[in-house]
Amino acid sequence: MRRELGMGVALFFMCLGLWVSNPDFLGQSNAINTLRQISMLGIFAIGIGFVIVTGGIDLSIGSMVGLTGVIIAKLSSTQSGGLGYPLWVAIPAALGIAVLLGLMQGLLITRLSLQPFIVTLGGMLLFRGLSQTIADGGTLSLGGSPLLDLASGGILRVQGEPLLPYPFLIFLGVIAVGSYVLHFTVYGRYLFAIGGNRDAAEYSGIAVRRIEASTYLISAGTAGLAGVCYAAYIGQMSQQVGVAYELYGIAAAVLGGCSLRGGEGTVVGIVIGAAVMRVIDNGINMFQIAYADQDGIRRLWRLNPNWTFVIIGAVILVAVVLDQVVHLVQAQRRVRESSLSVTRGPTPDARSLKPQA
Amino acid sequence: MSTPRAAGQSECLLSMRGITKRFPGVVALDGVSLELRAGEVLALMGENGAGKSTLMKVLGGAFAPDEGQVLIAGRAAAIDSVRAAQRYGIALIHQELSFAPNLDIAANIFLGNEISGRSGLLRPLPRRALRARAKEFLERVGLFVSPDTPAASLLTGQLQMMEIAKALALNARIIVMDEPTSSLTAGESEKLFAIVRQLRADGIGIIYISHRLEEVMALADRITVLRDGRHVGDLEREKASHEALVSLMVGRQMSGHYFPPKAERSAGETVLEVEGVVVQGTRAPVSFSVRQGEILGFAGLVGAGRTELMCALFGALPVLSGRMTLRGKPYAPSQPRDAIERGVFLAPEDRKRHGLVLPMSIAQNTSLPDVRRYRRLGVFDRKAERRVALSEIERLRIKARGPEQKVVSLSGGNQQKVVLGKWLAMNPVVLILDEPTRGIDVGAKAEIYRNAAELARSGIAIIMVSSDMEEIVGLSDRVVVMREREIRGTLTGDEISSERIAHLMTRAEKSTGGQAA
Repeated sequence: MRRELGMGVALFFMCLGLWVSNPDFLGQSNAINTLRQISMLGIFAIGIGFVIVTGGIDLSIGSMVGLTGVIIAKLSSTQSGGLGYPLWVAIPAALGIAVLLGLMQGLLITRLSLQPFIVTLGGMLLFRGLSQTIADGGTLSLGGSPLLDLASGGILRVQGEPLLPYPFLIFLGVIAVGSYVLHFTVYGRYLFAIGGNRDAAEYSGIAVRRIEASTYLISAGTAGLAGVCYAAYIGQMSQQVGVAYELYGIAAAVLGGCSLRGGEGTVVGIVIGAAVMRVIDNGINMFQIAYADQDGIRRLWRLNPNWTFVIIGAVILVAVVLDQVVHLVQAQRRVRESSLSVTRGPTPDARSLKPQA
Repeated sequence: MSTPRAAGQSECLLSMRGITKRFPGVVALDGVSLELRAGEVLALMGENGAGKSTLMKVLGGAFAPDEGQVLIAGRAAAIDSVRAAQRYGIALIHQELSFAPNLDIAANIFLGNEISGRSGLLRPLPRRALRARAKEFLERVGLFVSPDTPAASLLTGQLQMMEIAKALALNARIIVMDEPTSSLTAGESEKLFAIVRQLRADGIGIIYISHRLEEVMALADRITVLRDGRHVGDLEREKASHEALVSLMVGRQMSGHYFPPKAERSAGETVLEVEGVVVQGTRAPVSFSVRQGEILGFAGLVGAGRTELMCALFGALPVLSGRMTLRGKPYAPSQPRDAIERGVFLAPEDRKRHGLVLPMSIAQNTSLPDVRRYRRLGVFDRKAERRVALSEIERLRIKARGPEQKVVSLSGGNQQKVVLGKWLAMNPVVLILDEPTRGIDVGAKAEIYRNAAELARSGIAIIMVSSDMEEIVGLSDRVVVMREREIRGTLTGDEISSERIAHLMTRAEKSTGGQAA
């Protein structure tokens, strides 16, 4: 929980700083938009967290987000290139395809003992290509579709704008179900056991392969849900939607305390991680410092948006470095105490000296 | 929970009949039969590769036998998965303990067994109930720690107890223990024996796999010996003797010259001097020295701080204070590379993890620490690499198809020889052997001893850490005894006897004798 707590505190101060620098940060429109962004990222980041807890990885998520959206657009769009089916056909079909593709990847990984990195890398390229083919290299417009209300609409309307957008409600649902499954069920316990020691899980009679395969299905399913939201939010689907989202998802999970070695992670942490990612993103636009130039005219200094990736990358690195430094310092202190003190405790474990990020 | 049955000699819990298991090119088990009665400890012995593990994997549901039949309590049993084995009341405790270090004790004990009905992965985890039941089982095996303790923080002995608790939680009637004491201290082993006896009294049948003859003689009711995949003998404990068992296992009479005579060696000048050194894991400053051409044994229980000390000599752990001198010059390795450059080499305790790159060939492993030497005209000289590897294969009598064979496919004894060969190719000054024969069978052990003695005779200073009393006594010219992370005494010549070492190793406080060697 150390990482979750640390990131939670960091998130709080980040928001505080942004709000002080620019009160619009918590203004209704920006706050709700950021909330929507956090929600859409968080939905699939939680799914990818299930894979990461078992020690796997899913690189196909970004493409899956895009593919779901493109399929929905293709099936339901009433504009050029669209087939004009109703949404209640298009959305379940798209989600079904996503889940099926995820299951296929999971089966390839577990039945043929292939490495998740390679299989999902293949999936990432393949699904991206499928999107391109379906959209015929261009754009499918959802203009006029009732789906657009999913992103813009919500409940608790104030001055015409909803306080709680629908994607956020979906996110809450995913958080609730995800937390229950990961932390309170037998299945969740098995995920942690597999990530901690695959052999131990196997020797304990756990159907390791079936459970591992199911995590890729979950991850693809949440990517599908996120894909529906993104389609509604963007309204124009092309092969470009969702590019590199898997890396945002992984970054959110790791920032929130998941270990890529498996066996560690919490839903709460992933939620915080997703929020941190999106607040930084938004903060780069919002951050401003008022100053007076030579002529005494008040001006606002803003960050150059070209710095976005530099800042996000640096934040990720700083977070894992800080975490590791704390870890090493603690390990060293333990070593010194047990080496030189007169207490006859057990010999410290050499493993505790090794990195564990 | 327990079955208070009066020495159930009659009830046959388990009978494995004519079990045959073939792998491509090998017959791992050839018509092996085995019987286990309720309330008995059956020792299963045999050299590595004799088929013990394969037989137990058949019993545990990991392998399906090609022929033969398993009867549980007289009825034919179809054990086709780990789950099925569990349902038949069979629990395996593996040698390399397999637990999830990121979960707590309660979670580990009930892993795979959380809800008795077993249906519905999505049912809630009954945390509180599991915790309470875990506590019960922990008390039964004498492990008095909280069930919430993370498994990663337990010592090896405690983990062993946790595994037994797990077997009990499965309501196992048949418990298989594979080399349970291989990394336990003497105290922990005693505790384990007491629990094994308790389980026996409760009517549980125990199959106890071990290389350690003393242990087997003390604990087992009967002994079954396998050799080359065949059943070669069944002995009642009373009728078994040390010699008879060894010759059954090895298939030949062991010669009396198990250990090469010490008289052939003579120690020269001091090579390495260690003065007042403190490292992670030592409690008091440690001082000793080692001379050319001698074998300096390091006796002590697991956890006495020997491995940490050796890692520090090799530069793998930091020296916190103190001074070392190698051949008259200051020696302060801050990483293994520094040690290697000065000719101080370590054959580590865990050879698969720290000694070898398993998927690489013998030749590649041999050249690894010294790749620069194989440069010719800026290009890597594979012929030279092969030549060096070949000469080490011959010198150490490594059984392999050739230098290209991958190390992963060698037996434990031959892997250890590859570790030795890797260092010998670089002319060692000091060679540290940490548990050189752990997990190695009797025949290969004798060869490792011969190799070590020959190296010492050629003028190398050898430091040998071992928990095997026999080999410490049989091989060492001098013995340093460590206990609780400090040196408790040094023995030379005729003083070296298992009694004296055991005395130094186990006595809580020592009133006489210095610490330094």
